[in-house]
Amino acid sequence: MKFGLFFEISVPRPWGPDTEYRVYQNCLEQVRLADELGFDQVWAVEHHFLEEYSHCSAPELFLTACAMQTKHIRVGHGIVVCVPQFNHPIRVAERAAVLDILSGGRLEFGTGRSATWTELGGFQADPDETKKTWDEYVRVIPKMWTQERFGYRGRAFSMPKRAVLPKPYQKPHPPMWVAVTSPGTELDAAERGLGSLGLTFGGFAEQEQRIAEYRRRIRSCEPVGEFVNEQVNTVNFLFCHEDREYAIRTGQRLAGTFNYLAEQLLTARQAYPTRSYPSLGLLPALRREATSAPEGQVPEGLCIGDPDRIVDVIKKWESVGVDRINFLLNAIETIPQEEVLASLRLFAREVMPKFGVRPPAAAVEVS
Amino acid sequence: MPLTGTRDLSSLAGDAPLMPALDTEPITLEGVEVLQVMEEIDDAAITSLLPPALHPTIPPTLTAVFWRVRLSPWGPFELAQVRIGCRAGARPRALLLRAFCNSEPAAEALARGWGLPVVSGDVRMRHYYDRVVGRVVAAGKLVLEAQLVDPEAISGADIQYIANLNLARLERNGTVQLRLVQFDPEYVFHKAERGRPELGAFDAAAWNVPDAVPDWPISASYALCDIELPQIRYLVDPAKPPLQAVERLAHV
Repeated sequence: MKFGLFFEISVPRPWGPDTEYRVYQNCLEQVRLADELGFDQVWAVEHHFLEEYSHCSAPELFLTACAMQTKHIRVGHGIVVCVPQFNHPIRVAERAAVLDILSGGRLEFGTGRSATWTELGGFQADPDETKKTWDEYVRVIPKMWTQERFGYRGRAFSMPKRAVLPKPYQKPHPPMWVAVTSPGTELDAAERGLGSLGLTFGGFAEQEQRIAEYRRRIRSCEPVGEFVNEQVNTVNFLFCHEDREYAIRTGQRLAGTFNYLAEQLLTARQAYPTRSYPSLGLLPALRREATSAPEGQVPEGLCIGDPDRIVDVIKKWESVGVDRINFLLNAIETIPQEEVLASLRLFAREVMPKFGVRPPAAAVEVS
Repeated sequence: MPLTGTRDLSSLAGDAPLMPALDTEPITLEGVEVLQVMEEIDDAAITSLLPPALHPTIPPTLTAVFWRVRLSPWGPFELAQVRIGCRAGARPRALLLRAFCNSEPAAEALARGWGLPVVSGDVRMRHYYDRVVGRVVAAGKLVLEAQLVDPEAISGADIQYIANLNLARLERNGTVQLRLVQFDPEYVFHKAERGRPELGAFDAAAWNVPDAVPDWPISASYALCDIELPQIRYLVDPAKPPLQAVERLAHV
C-alpha cells in the first residue's frame, strides 16, 4: 500500500488579495511535509471556473513547484483534460515531459475529460466528443514521447511528422492513468493497460467487485503505452487525531464541506442531454458516501478517526485490492493548517508503519 | 461557502397560489410532450434572482419548459414555465415564480395541488420535423418564444429534468406561510430528441425574474413521456439560510 495527497485546491470566499496565495502556500507546505514523512505521491486536478471548489487550473505549474520543493514524492496529473478545446495533445505531451524531467522522473500521468457544464461550456467543448478525444489522446501521447518523430492523421487532430520535444526522463515514459468516476470507466482503463485512478469512494463491496473485474480484464489488454500500468488508486479523506470523537467530528466537517461544494457544480448531464455522460460522475457518489452513515458515525471506507480506526479501514481497502490511497486533506480551509499538518504527522507515525512505510525518524520527531 | 440569493420573495406573495393542504394525491399524465430550452443568464443577476435559502448555479441558468398535455382530469392543456437554476442545500433545483397555462381548470388544479404559480395565458407548443416551438402570449404580448431546432433522436435516459421549487402560500396552523414547494415529477420516457436551442422573445418581467438576461444557449430537448405529478414531500422557507431552510413533511 502506498499513500499520497490529492489536491483540488479549494479557496474559500471572501476572496481577498492573498486568499489564493495563502491556500497555495498551505498546499505546498503539506506537500513538503508529506515528502519528509514518506508519502509516495501528490496528485493535482485540472479544473477551470469552479468557484471555491477548485482553483487548480494549471496543475502542471503547481506540480512543478511541488517537485522543486521535494526530494522523493511523485507528482501526478490527476488529471489532464484530454479535450482539444482545453489542451492540445502536443502541448500535453510536451508539458508532461518537461515536468518529468524537472522532477527527475517522478511524473504520474493521469488522463480524463471533465464532467461539468461549467467547464465544458466555458471552453465550448462538445460533451458528445470528450470520451472520443480522450481515447484518441491516450493512444497518441505515448507515441509522441517514444517516437523520434511523430506524425498523425486522426479525428480530433492531425499533424505532419515532427519531433515532439523534450522526451520524458522516465523510459519508456511515465505511468499512465485514467480518472475513474463513472462505473465502467475502470474497464476502459483495463482494456488500455492504464492505471485506475479512482475518484469515488464507494463501499468496500462495490469496489472489490470493480477492482476484481479491472484486474481480470487488464490481463488481456492492448496497452496504449509501452507497458501495462496495473494499479488501483483511490481517493479518500484524511483526518487523523488521537481523540477519536474529535477526529470524527472534524473529519465529517471536512467531508461534508467538500461534498456540499461539489454538489454546487453544474454537471454536464444536468445541462446537456447526452449519452456521453450517463452518470453524474464523482460528485453525487462522494456526497452519498460521506453521508451514508448514521449521525456521529463515519462511513465505512473513510480514513477519519484515530490511528487504530484508520488502520482498520486501510486494511480493508488493501484486502479488496487497492494499491494506493490518496487523501484530500482540506476543503476551503475548513480545518486549520496546523491541524492538517498534525494529522499528517500522526498518520505517518502511527498508521503508515503498519503498511510497511517508514518515514525518516527526524520528520516524526518534529511533531 | 457558496453564494446565496439575496431576493426577498415576500413582494411576490400576491402572485403565489394559496394551497389549502399538502396532501395532494399523485396522478399520472400520459403521453405528455415536453420541450425544455436551457440558457445561461448574465451573472449580474447571479444572486438577485434567488432568495437567501438557495444557492445559484455557476454559471447561472434559466430553463423554459413547455408541457403539451392531451389528456388529464382537467382536460387538455398546455403549460409554460421559466425557472431559475439553483441548489437547495446540496440538491439541484429550479425556482419557479411564474407559469402560464391555457386552461383555467388545469391552472387551478396545478396551483392548488402542487403550488405552481400559474396564471392564464395563450400557451402553444408544437412539434415539427425541423423544430419544436413553444410560445406564450400574455395580455396580448409575446412573452416567450423558445425553440429546439434540427431535432435528432436520443434516448430518454440522456435527459435529466431538475425538480421545481414553486413559490406558494400555505395555510398551516391558522396562518398563511410563504414557502417553496418541491415539485419533483417522475418521468417515463417514450421518445426523446435534442437540438439547437433558440430563445427568441423573452419578457423577463412577465416571469417575475426581471433581472434575468439570457446570454448563452446551452441545450434543448424534447420528450414524449408519462409524468407522475408527485406527493408533496419537502418545503423550503425562502427567507432562511440554506442549511436551515428545508422542511421534510411528516407524512414522508
